[in-house]
Amino acid sequence: MEDPERTKQLSPSLAAKTAARVVKLPTRGETGVAKATRNGGATTGHKGSKRSHALWYALYLPQLEELALPQQRQYLNKLAALMQEVSSTVSFHPLALVCEIRSSLKYFGGIDVIHCRLGQLVTAQLVEWALADHFLYAVSPTVTGSLLLARSGHNALVYQKDNLRSALGQLSTEVLQLNREQNRRLYNMGVRHLRDIWRLPPAGLRRRFGSDFLNQLNQALGKVPEPTRNYLPPPAFLTCYDLPYELENLDRLLPVADEIFAQLCDFLRRRDLGTSQLLFSLQHEKRSCTEISIGLRQPSRSRKHLMLLLETHFSNLSIPAPVTAVKLEVTQFDAFVSHSDPLRTSEKWGRGKWGQTENSFDSGENQQRSGRKFYSGPIFPHPISPNDSNLNQLIEQLQARLGEHHVKSINSVAEHCPEYASQQTDYLEVDTPGKKRQAVATQVALHPRPFWLLEQPLQLRIRRGRLYHCKAITIVSGPERIETHWWSGTDVRRDYYVAREQNGSRLWIYRERGADKRWFLHGFFA
Amino acid sequence: MKSHFKMSVIRAPSGTPGPTADKACTHTQHIGELLQGNPNLWRGCDMAGQGCHGRSTGFPQLDDILPGRGWPDRGLVEIISPCWGMGELQLLIPLMRSTVEQGKWILWISPPYLLYAPALVQAGINTGQVLVVERDTSCKDALWSMEKALQTENCGLVLAWQNWLPGKVLRRLQLAAAAGDTLGVLFKHRDSEHSPSLVRIQIRGSQSQRDRFTRSEVTVIKARGNFRPLTTHVDLYQQI
Repeated sequence: MEDPERTKQLSPSLAAKTAARVVKLPTRGETGVAKATRNGGATTGHKGSKRSHALWYALYLPQLEELALPQQRQYLNKLAALMQEVSSTVSFHPLALVCEIRSSLKYFGGIDVIHCRLGQLVTAQLVEWALADHFLYAVSPTVTGSLLLARSGHNALVYQKDNLRSALGQLSTEVLQLNREQNRRLYNMGVRHLRDIWRLPPAGLRRRFGSDFLNQLNQALGKVPEPTRNYLPPPAFLTCYDLPYELENLDRLLPVADEIFAQLCDFLRRRDLGTSQLLFSLQHEKRSCTEISIGLRQPSRSRKHLMLLLETHFSNLSIPAPVTAVKLEVTQFDAFVSHSDPLRTSEKWGRGKWGQTENSFDSGENQQRSGRKFYSGPIFPHPISPNDSNLNQLIEQLQARLGEHHVKSINSVAEHCPEYASQQTDYLEVDTPGKKRQAVATQVALHPRPFWLLEQPLQLRIRRGRLYHCKAITIVSGPERIETHWWSGTDVRRDYYVAREQNGSRLWIYRERGADKRWFLHGFFA
Repeated sequence: MKSHFKMSVIRAPSGTPGPTADKACTHTQHIGELLQGNPNLWRGCDMAGQGCHGRSTGFPQLDDILPGRGWPDRGLVEIISPCWGMGELQLLIPLMRSTVEQGKWILWISPPYLLYAPALVQAGINTGQVLVVERDTSCKDALWSMEKALQTENCGLVLAWQNWLPGKVLRRLQLAAAAGDTLGVLFKHRDSEHSPSLVRIQIRGSQSQRDRFTRSEVTVIKARGNFRPLTTHVDLYQQI
């Protein structure tokens, strides 16, 4: 390569005419190629013809190869986020990232500034991960070209597409990363460098090495378009709206909220996402803001649904001061799952919107007359799943109004002690499938159990040798002996009986098996 | 329709040569059967001509005095008992079971005591489809929840414990249940006379020593389709 002094003099047009035609980028710390970049910066930013004028900065990290694939992907993602600082288009490649820098040349003031900046960011990150802090890089007008140059370790800068052929020509065929058989074949053909390939007829190459091989070369030379997978930053949504005047009536906030939700739903639709958790805050003057956390059972991006939930929240909300501004932040994004409604949801469908036509089909008369039997059930039988959106909406509304801990689901637990055999959990928790399956006991005791259980057993009186609750009690069946929890200090030793009160109700009572032998009421067979 | 009618009238006497009282009885039966099948005929003694569409209470004696031989499909039902735990839930076990089997959910709104899951499992009710709204919910919130739940079709059965409610509220709940195609059950201590609910049932404890207090007195105070209150005596705890 040339000495740095000479590269300084090179302008792109001159570089095209010189034999080497490749400009060496400065190594870290140096500031070379000032002139060359100034010239490059002048041609910045024709968005319409971006592909043809683009400059691609390739960053090749061979040290990532030792890592497992998921970790590689994670690291590349992190680096891509860093590279977003200099470019809006960052694409992923094996062990490499490529970003477009032509459009940012003017803003940063040259390639070397961009390069230094990226160098600092990437090196700091690599050091943090305890990886080797060097990396290979190259700049050229094509993505594949930059990649090949970077892989070869040339750290080269090529401005013009016309120069790519000669710049790439010097590279060894190893940079193509072909398989062993293809390498052997190339070697036997006497091909050592890429320039040897340029001389071979494309038709023959395609026949011998496949079209992927030829496509890669054409992409490197900029003859065919290069599709890339671009880095998409994680979604974030935060919007504020300052009200023109202070509002005290929450109902008058609803149109504003509706407008904000419209923005949100638009954003979600564009990113093909749904949301399951939102934070809606009302800001007051000189007071801390009122925060409303809206949780959804299923990710949604329906404006109507979100508005309904917000209205429910508003209905029992009191604000300390008039509202000056509103803010909406999405705290949880989820993949959007759309629901396709079945043609007919249930057998009762006939009563609904299309009831009349349905009845004429299903009535017995019609069947007899035509002699044909019509299938009266659903066309596609579809059991109503408990996860139906209808029910979820109800539960969300209940949780919004009553508080999340007021809606409980219930399940039985394999446990001898009656107090612990039933468990009420917040409905949200049920969703974690492992937990639920572990807790639910399908088998319960053979002896009868009451629907109502008293939280604290109630001691029963004995009057003239008879047990009394409200009225006299007669034992119907029993005893069922339960002795458990001796390990926990609260020894449970009880004989349970089913008893009948004189007013007709059935009670679940027990007698302690200890010194006292007291009687307790523990439940009602309601 | 008309021709069928004639034929049966002609045939009936020839088939049954018994005494005249018997003849008259068979005639009425025949006529009754024929009329039963006609959906256009509204008969006061069964619920708006729906025949036996109700869902059983699990107690044949009680089914007999309920129009439609059981609980209605949708609407509001009131069960009145002097105190909680008089066997009122026993009447609903088959209903709860069928609701769960249909894939619908049961919502219990502020039950008076702790709902005990093993009892539900023993009764064959999947606890995965049961939701409980906690007891310390205010009356207003409880009613709001009940109305919302009744409007939701997937919530097949809504049970609530409220002691005294004005007729206006009851009417609103009744309309919500009709709109959502669901059944709401209200448990109360006292009867309110002009309630718009479909069915009102009162349970009283047995007073007689003779059956050793086993058979509770169940009165259908009002049921759309019945003319007058009907009473039966049922042992509500057959399984226990």
